[in-house]
Amino acid sequence: MHPLSRRSTELGLVIMAGTITTAAYVLASLGKNSTIPPIIVPFFVILLGLLLLAHLATRILARGADSTLLPLAAMLHGIGFVMITRLNDRLAGLQTTWSFVAIAAYVATLLVVQRAPDLARYKWTFFVLGAGLLLVPLVPGLGRSVGGARIWVNIGPIRFQPGEFAKILLALFFAGYLYERRELIAASTWKVGPLRLPQPRHFLPIAAAWGFAVVVMVGQKDLGSSLLFFTLFVVMLWVATERATFLILGAVLFGGAAYASFRMFSHVQDRVDIWLDPWSRYQGKGYQIVQGMFAIGDGGLGGTGLGQGRPNLIPAVQNDFIFAGIAEELGLFGATAVLMSFLLIVGAGLRIAIRAERPFEKLLATGLTTLLGVQAFIIIGGVIRVVPLTGITLPFVSYGGSSLVSNYILLALLMRVSDSTSRRIGELPDDPTINERFAAWKLRRELRKQSGGRRGAKAAAK
Amino acid sequence: MNKQIRRLAAGLLVCYLILFIQLNLLQVVKRDELATNTNNNRAVLRDFDKPRGNIVSADGVVVAMSVPSVDTQFKFQRVYPTNDLFANVTGYYTYAFGATKLEKKFTEVLTGRTTEQQVRSITNIFSGEDNTGSVHLTMRADLQQVAKDALGEREGSVVVMDPITGAVLAMYSYPSYDANLVVVHNSTEAEQRLEFLNNYPGKPTLANAYQERYMPGSTFKVITTGIALENGLIDFDSFWENETEYLPPQTTNPVENYQGNVCGGDLREVFRRSCNTPFARIAVELGVDAMVAGTQAWGIGEKLPFDIPGAVASNFGTVEELKDNVARLAIRGFGQDDDLMVPLHMAMVASTVANGGQMMQPYSVAATLDHDGGVLQTTAPAVWKSPLSATNAAKLNELMVGVVQSGTASCCLQLNNGIQAAAKTGTAQLNARGEPQRSHAWIMAFAPAEAPRYAIAVVLKGTTAEISEGTGGKLAGPIAKTVLDFALTLPAG
Repeated sequence: MHPLSRRSTELGLVIMAGTITTAAYVLASLGKNSTIPPIIVPFFVILLGLLLLAHLATRILARGADSTLLPLAAMLHGIGFVMITRLNDRLAGLQTTWSFVAIAAYVATLLVVQRAPDLARYKWTFFVLGAGLLLVPLVPGLGRSVGGARIWVNIGPIRFQPGEFAKILLALFFAGYLYERRELIAASTWKVGPLRLPQPRHFLPIAAAWGFAVVVMVGQKDLGSSLLFFTLFVVMLWVATERATFLILGAVLFGGAAYASFRMFSHVQDRVDIWLDPWSRYQGKGYQIVQGMFAIGDGGLGGTGLGQGRPNLIPAVQNDFIFAGIAEELGLFGATAVLMSFLLIVGAGLRIAIRAERPFEKLLATGLTTLLGVQAFIIIGGVIRVVPLTGITLPFVSYGGSSLVSNYILLALLMRVSDSTSRRIGELPDDPTINERFAAWKLRRELRKQSGGRRGAKAAAK
Repeated sequence: MNKQIRRLAAGLLVCYLILFIQLNLLQVVKRDELATNTNNNRAVLRDFDKPRGNIVSADGVVVAMSVPSVDTQFKFQRVYPTNDLFANVTGYYTYAFGATKLEKKFTEVLTGRTTEQQVRSITNIFSGEDNTGSVHLTMRADLQQVAKDALGEREGSVVVMDPITGAVLAMYSYPSYDANLVVVHNSTEAEQRLEFLNNYPGKPTLANAYQERYMPGSTFKVITTGIALENGLIDFDSFWENETEYLPPQTTNPVENYQGNVCGGDLREVFRRSCNTPFARIAVELGVDAMVAGTQAWGIGEKLPFDIPGAVASNFGTVEELKDNVARLAIRGFGQDDDLMVPLHMAMVASTVANGGQMMQPYSVAATLDHDGGVLQTTAPAVWKSPLSATNAAKLNELMVGVVQSGTASCCLQLNNGIQAAAKTGTAQLNARGEPQRSHAWIMAFAPAEAPRYAIAVVLKGTTAEISEGTGGKLAGPIAKTVLDFALTLPAG
């Protein structure tokens, strides 16, 4: 495919995603109230406008970027949105607002970050910001515990989860740090008995940073994020150093940490017990997951139809359990479509990583894709009992502003890496970015001013 | 780094493959297992958010319907407009305590879930029109009301049948209950009411007409006579000497006639006067094997093949039980001891005589229709048992006419317009000798005798002094007369 036709492909796919979402919205309304929603035309127009805005921003700001990421995200976002409107009118209104903010964040990210390699320079800034955001919920007065996890922050009427943004910042930090020191870490020239370890001065800072983040997340009882973050770190270290030792070390460390937390924390034990046998805990902590499985089973192959199931029987279905609601109303077909969408995003993300020429961009794309792919796996796996359930949102699909906005930022960064690569490998002319043009314009003006001034001076001298 | 990234891609692919497999397990393989889990009430909830079809009587009265619910819990509320009149037929359909009777049996039709309805309503999927089916009874609400009024507040049952088809035309038991009471959506309230009804004397939630059985008394003599006629043991020329009691073998306890009367004569006379000793003698002479086989030919010992679930079986006894106890065989020959008859079965016995010896399968549902009124299924009349030859059926018919003309039912079953009924009464003695009189009052009949259109069985339980001191003819006879008189004014078919 010619790099320039990517945008046309994207446009077609985005319109398709918008149309499917609108059709689903109508079906959900028909299923629930047997009426066609009265706001269907404005709904379609605004939805399409929003998607076209994102597309146009991409066309202008990242025209060489991958063509499937935005439509896939839009599709997941659309399915999630329809489910939320079908579940709860009040939340639907809030999610609409968040959708606007998310698209704005996507455009803003593309606008602010115009050269991916520039990000590497700010790695410590990102770490400090990320660590700061992680710690905010612990500040008395600001932080809030919801469902046992202290990961919320209330500022005025707005409540958000800073951790969602911290993950991206920390992935940026890892990519920036590892691209610099990956060879030094990989060399492992420090001999401790029979073991060859990386020199502490190279390895310690990142290990400390990572350890700090994990301890904070565990302390906040945010098991899902701890698991996600742990995986992210090990994967990035492994890819950066190209040494499987780190993968094995990570697995061993994970086993140890998991066992220790299982012994130390009752809420971890609870999660494992519920995972192994939710049935006998139906009246208590197993209720949510059992209801989730009833819903999924009820969906069968084709689902009950949008608006015709009873996903509201599952507590918190709009957040962690939205996948169960989708599997109920859209059946195995719909649930598989969601799985496939995530798999395609993962595929596109990792293709971007492979195509990228510079290690920093490779690591960044790998890290961001891992975040998205593993997060979806952890929560879907938790809902359908492949892994113990840990509360975490399903990217793009679940209700929640922080999750939606942060995932669109993540998407924009992936798009940016993809676009940078296209320019670098010469698929597209590496035109100056808007920022650069602006800078150049300012420079020229400055020069004109100076030369004009000189001319004036000369004239005065005459 | 590319090698690692490719491996990462492969690893994530495997992870998602596992998710896909588990999803298949939950949504396809274990689907039914999840659906039938005791904690899973999704199927019930689904049904309560959808309309449910009507159950309609043969004369067009809606006896069960769905109306939009006033509470917010569910969209629809089940209503039984005739209150207690058909509760033993429709049963109830509750959220927390399941469904019973026809509501249970025809739930697929009523909710539109049968494959045929799904296929037929495929064009309605988008219009959202409901595809609920309806159940059409063989029973008439007007006849049912007459039966109910005739029974009054006396415990017992009235069953009216079409003897030719086996269609049940009326079937009412007192006490009944108002099914509206238990279909309230509030589970606690429903539970309390259901518990109250289940513990109420007379068991209103149990359909006495087909879920209970009572000692039949002399009405059983129709069966004994039928068996003896079929075996060639007796005929119109048989004769029994006058006697007050008969001592069967293996006992010192003689069999007595009703109130110790002297009784005897030819078959017509002993049948019409309902002597006990001749029928005790017949049973003994036939012997255990022939009597047991004979009663089995009448369907005794088998659960009645009724289309409302839960029908029970009448009882006579087994060869093992009776072969060394001829005394009890003798008593059972005229309907006492452990003889037990389901009221519906007694109506079927009357129908058999009326129908030339063919016992039809009883049924309460004439047809099920889809949402457009298209027929889903109609009930075709079917023979269940053939205990009598046509000749012997005619003889029994004649014997039963004698009962009405000059026998135990002569007092009370002279129908309007001179229509001749045929009948047999029964007064089932429940008390042992020396105890106060306690008895069930029975009558079984059909009319017109020469071309039968209706068969009826009435039983009044011996729970009050009035009933216990009366006889089947005097107590149950007038009820049968009222009901038959009304039925005979109805247009044929």
